[in-house]
Amino acid sequence: MGKFKEVLGVKKATLLLLGVLILATLVISAPVLHMYTALDVNEAKIYIEAFEKATGIKVDWVRMSSGEVLARLEAERNNPRASIWFGGPAVDQIAAKNKGLLEPYKSPNAWSLDLAFKDYDGYWTGFYLGVIGFASNTKQLEELGVEAPTSWQDLLKPEFKGRISVAYPYTSGTSYTILAGLIALMGEDEAFDYYKKLNKQIHHYNKSGSACVTQVGLGEVTVGIAFAHDVIKKGVSKGYPVKLTVPEDGTSYEIGAMSVIKGGPEPELAHKFIDWMLTAEAQSLMKNWYRVPLNPDAEVVEGAVKITDVNVIPLDFVYFGQQKDRLIERWKTEIQYGD
Amino acid sequence: MYFTKQLKRIFNEPTLFITLLAVWLLLGVFVIYPIVMVAITSLKDYSGHFSWNTYKMLFTKVYFRRPLINSLKLGATVASIGTVVGFIFAFAITRVNIPGKKIFTTVATFPIVSPPFVIALAAILLFGRNGVITHDILKDSLKIDIYGFGGLSLVETLAYFPTAFLSLEGILRSINPALEEASLSMGYSKWRTFWKVTFPLSMPGIFSAWLLVFAQSMADFGNPMIISGNYQVLSVAAYLEITGSFNLSTGSGLAILLLVPTIVAFTLQKYWLSKKSYVTVTGKPSSMGILEPKKSVKALFTVILLIFTATILMFYGTVFYGSFTKLWGVNHTLSLENYKFVFDVGLEYIKDTIILAAIATPISGILGMLIAYLVARKEFPGRRFTEATSLLTFAIPGTVVGIGYLLSFNNKPFVLTGTAAIIILIFIFRNLPVGVQNGVAALEQIDKSIEEASLDMGASSATTFWKVTLPLITPAFFSGLFFTFVKSMTAISAVIFVVSGSWNLVTVAILGSVENSDLAQAAAYSYVLIFIVIIMMFLLRMLTYRFSYERKIAR
Repeated sequence: MGKFKEVLGVKKATLLLLGVLILATLVISAPVLHMYTALDVNEAKIYIEAFEKATGIKVDWVRMSSGEVLARLEAERNNPRASIWFGGPAVDQIAAKNKGLLEPYKSPNAWSLDLAFKDYDGYWTGFYLGVIGFASNTKQLEELGVEAPTSWQDLLKPEFKGRISVAYPYTSGTSYTILAGLIALMGEDEAFDYYKKLNKQIHHYNKSGSACVTQVGLGEVTVGIAFAHDVIKKGVSKGYPVKLTVPEDGTSYEIGAMSVIKGGPEPELAHKFIDWMLTAEAQSLMKNWYRVPLNPDAEVVEGAVKITDVNVIPLDFVYFGQQKDRLIERWKTEIQYGD
Repeated sequence: MYFTKQLKRIFNEPTLFITLLAVWLLLGVFVIYPIVMVAITSLKDYSGHFSWNTYKMLFTKVYFRRPLINSLKLGATVASIGTVVGFIFAFAITRVNIPGKKIFTTVATFPIVSPPFVIALAAILLFGRNGVITHDILKDSLKIDIYGFGGLSLVETLAYFPTAFLSLEGILRSINPALEEASLSMGYSKWRTFWKVTFPLSMPGIFSAWLLVFAQSMADFGNPMIISGNYQVLSVAAYLEITGSFNLSTGSGLAILLLVPTIVAFTLQKYWLSKKSYVTVTGKPSSMGILEPKKSVKALFTVILLIFTATILMFYGTVFYGSFTKLWGVNHTLSLENYKFVFDVGLEYIKDTIILAAIATPISGILGMLIAYLVARKEFPGRRFTEATSLLTFAIPGTVVGIGYLLSFNNKPFVLTGTAAIIILIFIFRNLPVGVQNGVAALEQIDKSIEEASLDMGASSATTFWKVTLPLITPAFFSGLFFTFVKSMTAISAVIFVVSGSWNLVTVAILGSVENSDLAQAAAYSYVLIFIVIIMMFLLRMLTYRFSYERKIAR
């Protein structure tokens, strides 16, 4: 009898365990929009909160760099968990489209967008423009006795050796945009030759494209390469001793885009988000981050770097979307793991 | 025949048999299966066909060898220094009568209760190019580069020596001082008693502590991500391959390369340990404080403890201060803005994290003790394999566990991604080794005869486990619980692959802030996390005391 009781005791404990496990699995949330975003956390929440307020739809979101979003979509190909990819350069979304990870949606609010700013079939829709710039720590420039770099060649100055940081082009959309721009500017082989020299100047690589701005601000590195809006928002406007320059020999740019994930759980909500994000009110919110919106009716904040203000390299996004895997492989072999 | 005899014994005890089956099923699905998936993936090329390419590359290209050598060098360095420091701490706390023990213990556990990358960040703030110490105090007179091997070793030693400390503390506490007393009364000096009695008795603990730290250092990716500079380690290489490029095959290959040294070390330990017997608790009550060293030695202990404690306090103090500054490095006006941010934006993360960790902790703890008991006390076919399997998740970098879960539980029949369950399961099985190892180490100290007495008097295996074994290993059990909770609260590398919008974690939010160098936010998040964990720690310490064997005897 005593033995039986004890066995029962074990069973009770086991049942309890099972109960807790089942309970845990059963905690199901109400239907909401699941989102992956490549925007900075602090920025993404501006739009998401406004969207939630405007539509009453709740958004559950995860922030990742755009290379990581792409990897995640590939991993979840057979069972997508999110419905929308919000933010990050169009090139990465084109790469996703080519891998069959996206489904088309032509937003009625996108009709006025120039065809350069959206996919012909609706696989991705642009909502802002950004250009690449250099962030420099003014105090250290002074100590080193150099001017802020204004061309790609300036980055190779001996003063900057071991003092530059940038992101990995495979994790970061920013950094892939830089690589693509260099190739468009110089030609592929020449761009890789240049990058080999640049690699010797680089102190370390980051995962996220805008991370270098604060590193420059803190003085960990002297120069960072990132999007101008991130340099202004996270460096200059915060009060760091950061100066923004844009390479005069030509700079790369992005169309920040959003897209619907193929087979995602709530496509209608994703469509609603895209529609909303293209409205003038939503686009005007981008003034908080010094981004340049694509909706002509939206406000543009003073200090934002417009594409017409700088010397932009024409980029074939479709080509660079298609070539991403190959170019990344080449970059890894020749630059990251090269001698 | 031996084998049939073993089988017969199992069938004679249906409870044992059912428990074993359940344990095997759980380990099979949640430990082996994901890893097998990773292994299979590492043998596939892009189009999904079988290929040795990944492994060929691992051996033909220097860039795969370099991270391996780097990781091994780092792991061995950190494990060695960490174990020595951990032992000094544990010995001082359990054997030496010094003031401020509670403070030392509490401070030493800071690195465990906080996400590891906080230490890396503090290191940058203090020793970076523009750091408080290097730039403001030393005026750049020393060319210190915190990014790289040296910085990583420092950061990881600080982050992981407490692991060695905590596990050794448990071991030292369970060594019966009667043995030391006997040695002393037979004329041995305290020094000799230490070397001939205490030290050999704690040897299995020391070795397992070394392994714990080694494995942690090998699998760590938070610190190397931030501070490794160009010192490429395996975990980061694998992580970047997988998250950045979705090169699952290369990433998995690198991870399997990471696995090999850990498994070798593990096997060595088992082989070496099995030759010695370490039974000291033989049913007698234990007390403490026999090997009181000379004043000069005591002073030395105090100084070492003070140095490490001061360093940790300095690191955490810097981050604490940073969490109140408006803009670290530029505007040091104090404000509560960052905390306001954490409670505005991060409250949901905090809630989710606590719920998930709280569900996983007891399950992991009980399962761990159960496996430890089965492994240390029961004879059954596949015993060694069962133990090895339960310890496996520890040897595998979190990133790969995460990817393994993603690969395994994203398709039928197990669709779990996006749910709370997958995060809970990762917490449970990632932390299982701590419980198992603690349990086994504790059980190895307890003479089998106590349980045999219970069995001889007619109690079943189950009764014996609940009434005899469990109370004896309660301290180990609770320290396992504590660990699981803390590790769940601060986990990042595995869960980052499976977090969803519905279930998000504080660490993911911290990593986001850290990635963007929003240090003050990250600091505030970390302190909220640390605060929660400290509360848990005190709760568990109280519980440990309540349920511990010593107290029962005292009553």
